[in-house]
Amino acid sequence: MTDAPASGPMHPVLPHPDCQDDPALREAQEQRLRAVWKKPTGWRYFSAVNNDTVGVWYILTAFGFFAFAGILALLMRVQLALPDNDFLSMSLYNQLFTMHGTMMMFLFAVPIFEAVSILLLPELLGARDLPFPRLSAFGYWCFAIGGTFVAGSVFFDAAPSSGWFMYPPLTSEPHLTGIGADIWLLGLSFIEVASIAAAVELIVGVLKCRPPGMRLNLMPLYCWYILVVAGMILFAFPPLIAGDLLLEMERAFDWPFFDTTRGGDPILWQHLFWIFGHPEVYIVFLPSIAIIASLVPTFARVPMVGHSWIVLSAVGTAFLSFGLWAHHMYATGLPNISLGFFSAASEAVAIPTGVQIFCFIATLLVGKVKRSVPMLFAMGGIAIFVAGGLTGVMVALPGFDWQAHDSYFIVAHLHFTLIGGVVFPLLAGLYYWFPFQTDKLLSERLGRWAFWLMFVGFNVTFLPMHLTGLLGMPRRVWTYPAELGWDTLNLVSSAGAFVIAAGFALIVLDVFRPKGRQPLAPRNPWGSPGIEWSAAVPGESWGARCVPIVTSRYPLWEQKDLVREIDEGRFYLPDAEEGQREMLVSDILDAEPTQVQRVPGPTYKTLLAAALLGACFIFGTYKLWWLTGLCAAGTVAAIIWWLWTGTSQIPEKPEKAAGRGLTLPLYASGTRSVGWWAMFITMIGDFSAFVGLVFAYFFFWTRHEAFPAADAGRPDLRLLVTGLALILAAWALMELIRRRHAAGGIAWARWGCPLAALLGLAGAAAFAGALWSAGLEPTRHVYDATCWVLVLWLGAHVSVGAIMQLYCAAGSWAGRMTPRYDADLHNVELYWNFMAATALCSFALLGLFPLTAGGP
Amino acid sequence: MKQKTLFEEGSLWPVIAALGIWAAHFLLSYWAAALWCAKAADGSGSLFWVRLAIAVLTLLALAAIAWLARHAVRRYGGRLTFEDDLTEDSAAERARFLGHATLLLCALSAVAVLFDAVPAVVFSTCR
Repeated sequence: MTDAPASGPMHPVLPHPDCQDDPALREAQEQRLRAVWKKPTGWRYFSAVNNDTVGVWYILTAFGFFAFAGILALLMRVQLALPDNDFLSMSLYNQLFTMHGTMMMFLFAVPIFEAVSILLLPELLGARDLPFPRLSAFGYWCFAIGGTFVAGSVFFDAAPSSGWFMYPPLTSEPHLTGIGADIWLLGLSFIEVASIAAAVELIVGVLKCRPPGMRLNLMPLYCWYILVVAGMILFAFPPLIAGDLLLEMERAFDWPFFDTTRGGDPILWQHLFWIFGHPEVYIVFLPSIAIIASLVPTFARVPMVGHSWIVLSAVGTAFLSFGLWAHHMYATGLPNISLGFFSAASEAVAIPTGVQIFCFIATLLVGKVKRSVPMLFAMGGIAIFVAGGLTGVMVALPGFDWQAHDSYFIVAHLHFTLIGGVVFPLLAGLYYWFPFQTDKLLSERLGRWAFWLMFVGFNVTFLPMHLTGLLGMPRRVWTYPAELGWDTLNLVSSAGAFVIAAGFALIVLDVFRPKGRQPLAPRNPWGSPGIEWSAAVPGESWGARCVPIVTSRYPLWEQKDLVREIDEGRFYLPDAEEGQREMLVSDILDAEPTQVQRVPGPTYKTLLAAALLGACFIFGTYKLWWLTGLCAAGTVAAIIWWLWTGTSQIPEKPEKAAGRGLTLPLYASGTRSVGWWAMFITMIGDFSAFVGLVFAYFFFWTRHEAFPAADAGRPDLRLLVTGLALILAAWALMELIRRRHAAGGIAWARWGCPLAALLGLAGAAAFAGALWSAGLEPTRHVYDATCWVLVLWLGAHVSVGAIMQLYCAAGSWAGRMTPRYDADLHNVELYWNFMAATALCSFALLGLFPLTAGGP
Repeated sequence: MKQKTLFEEGSLWPVIAALGIWAAHFLLSYWAAALWCAKAADGSGSLFWVRLAIAVLTLLALAAIAWLARHAVRRYGGRLTFEDDLTEDSAAERARFLGHATLLLCALSAVAVLFDAVPAVVFSTCR
C-alpha cells in the first residue's frame, strides 16, 4: 500500500543553485510568488482559501463557540450556587447543559484541532498550503453555518434539551423534545461532514506533502499525532452519523429503530454513540498533547527523550481508545464478562497515555527549562490531566462506577481530563504560536495572571465536585433542596467558575488589544527547532519561500544555514513562473518528491456549496421537504461546478523544473495522486458508517428470538440476485473502462461510463424492488426498517457513483479527461470498488442471512 | 513501476498490525461472550465454551504478535531501545525506526491482549 518513489536521485548533492545568487532574480521570484499567493481583499476576503486565512477563521470561530458555551456554564453555575434557586427555569437549564456539552465537544474541541492543524500543518512541513485548500474552506463554512444554527437555537427556546448524548427513547419522541433534537441530529451531522473533510485533508497532507527528506523517522511528533487523530476521526465519526441517520428516520418517518414496542432497542443508540464518544475523548486530547510535545523540546532546549516511544503511545492510544466505549454503559445491564472486557481495555489505555507524560517529564529533567507562559499552561494542564486520568482509572472499574455513575463525580472527572488535557494545552499553543501567525508576542504579565486565575479557578470549581458527587448529587439536576448538604460545595464551585472566566477574559483581552505600537517579535522568538519558525518577520502569505530539504528531526537546530538558504530560495519551487499556486507532493515513506501539484486559488464556489448544503440540512430540520430536495440538488450542482473548474486540470506542459535540477510531472493519477488518496480515505470513513448499519442489523438479531421473525416478509431472492449482478457488472465495467481508456479507448469512457451508471442504478432499483415486492414496510417492525435503511444507503451511494460516472463521461467529451490525464477515472473506479463491497454485504444481510433464521 | 507489497521491507503496515491483532482479539472475545449469553447459553448461563474459545484466541493472538515482533527484528532491524534516537537521514534508518515502533507496539498489544483475557479467567457465568 505504499507507492514507489519517482525515478531520479533523492535531493541531489548538487551545489546550491548558483542562479539564486542573483538578488534581482530573487526579487522577481518573490514578486511573482507574492502575486500568486496574494490574499483577496475587500469583500472578496471571504473567498480566500489559503490555509493561513481559513485556519485563523476556524480558530476564532471555534473559540467564539467556546466562549458562548462557557457563558452557558456560568449561567448554570449561578443557578446551582444556592439551593432551591429559580434563576433559570428547568426547561432552560436542560437546554443549557445540553448545549454546553454539545458545543464544547462538537463546536470547540474537535474543530479547534482541525483549525490549529489547518493553520500549522503546512508550515510544519515547509509546504505552501494543504493539498486541497478549497476543501478546507468548504469544511470551515459548513462548520460556521452548522454551528451558528445549532448555537442560535438557544435564543428561540428551541435548543436540544436531552443531554449531549441524546439518549432515546426520550429523544425519539418528537412531542417530548420539540424541534431541539432534530436541530441536534441534523446540525451536528452537517458539522461531522466538515470534520471528516478536514481529516481527509490532514491525512493526505501528512502522508503526501512532506518536504523532501522528511522521512517517517524524522517527522515531527505533531504530524504523527495529526495522522493518528485524523485516522481516528475516520472510524469514530461515521458510526455516529449512522446513529444520527437511524434516530432521525425514527423521528421524521416513524421507523422504529429505538421503539421497543416494534422490536427496536434504545441501547443500540448508546453503542453507536459511544463507539464515537469514547474515541472522541482521545480525538480531542491527543492533538493537545501534540502541542505539548512541540513545546517541550523548545523550552527544555534538548531533543525529546523517547521520541519513538511517544509515537508508540500515540498510535497505541488511538487503537485502545476504541475498546472503551461500553464503559459508559456499565449501568445498562450488559453481562458482567462484557463489562470486564471494557474495563480491562480502559485500564490498558492508561499505559500508553502514561508513557507520553513520562517522556515529557524526562525531557524536562534532562534539559534546562526556560520559564515561559506556554510552559506554564502546558505543565498546569498536565497536572490537572493526570488527576483526571487517575479518577478515570477509578471509574473504569464497574464496581466503583455503579456508585459514581451520573453523579457530579463524573462531571469532575470529565472536566479534569478535558480542561487539563485539551483547554490548557491549547492555550499554551496559543501563547506559543501567536507570534508565528501575527508577528507580535502576547503579554507575559497578562499571561501569568491569566494562567494562575484559570488554574486556581479550575481547582476551586471542580475539585469540590468530586465530593459533591460522592455525597450523592446527580448531574443535570436543575436545583436541589438545602438540607442535603450540597450547598456550600456548590457555592464554592460557582465562585471558582467565575475566576476561570476572569482568567479567560484576560486572554481574550490580550489577544484583541491593539498591538500597533508593539515592536515585531524577533524571528523564531522561542529558539524553536521546528521548520515553521523559519518564516521571515513580517510574514508573507506564500507559506514558504521555497520547499526546503529536511534531513533532521530538529531542522532549525541542526541544519546549519537552513534559514538563510530558504530565504534565498535555494531549495525547491522558489518561483511561480506560470503564475500558478504550486506545492510539492512526495512519497509516503521517505518523502522523495514525486510531483508538482497545482492548487486552486480563492473562490466563492466552496462558500456557495456549503451554504446550499447547510440550507438543505436546515430545511430538513423543519421538514420542508421540497426546499430540502431543491437545496440538495443545488449542492450537487455547486460541488460539480467547483470540481469541474478547479480539480484535475490538464497542465499546459507535462512536467516542470522544480529547482535543483529536479524535473517533476505536473499531473498524477491513481495511487501517485493526492486525489486518489483522498478518495480512498473518504471511502474508508464512509464504509465505517455502513459497518455501523451492519452492526445495527446484528445487534437486533441478538435481541430477538428470531430475526427476521417467522411472520416477517423475506426480501425476494431473485430480485436481490439480479440487483447484485447488475451492481457488480457496473463495477467490473468501470475496471474495464479504466484499463481500456488508459490504452487509448476514449469511446470506452464516453459510452461505457453512462452504461455503467445505468447498470448500477438498475441494480439499486432491483434491491428496492426485492423489499417492495415482499411487502416490507419500514414503519411496521424494526426488521423491515433495518432492511430498508440498508437499501436506502446502497441506493444513495450508487446514485452518487452514477453522477461520478456521468462526470467522467462528460469530462471525456469536453476534453478535460484524456488517456494521459485520467485521474478522475481512477478515483471513480476506486469508489466503485467500495460500491461492490457494499452491495455484497447488503446482499448477504438481506438475502442470505434470513435463510439461517428459517423461512416463513 | 513495482509497488511495494503489504509486508515488504519498509512499509508502514506492520506498525498498526500488532494493534490490529489486539482489536480482533478484543472484538472476537466480546462478541463471543455477548452472543453466547444472548443466544446460546442454557439456564445456568455457563460460559465454559466461551472461556475455552477465548483461551485459544488469546494464544493465537499472542503467537501472531510474537511472529510480528520477530518480523520487526529480522526484516526491519527493530530493537527495544530507549537511548537510540534513530535520527539518521537514510532509508535504512527509517526502516529501523518503523521496526522499533512495531516492536514497542507488539509489547503494548501483548499486554493489552493479556488484560482482555482476564475477564474470561474471572467470570464463569453470564450473570
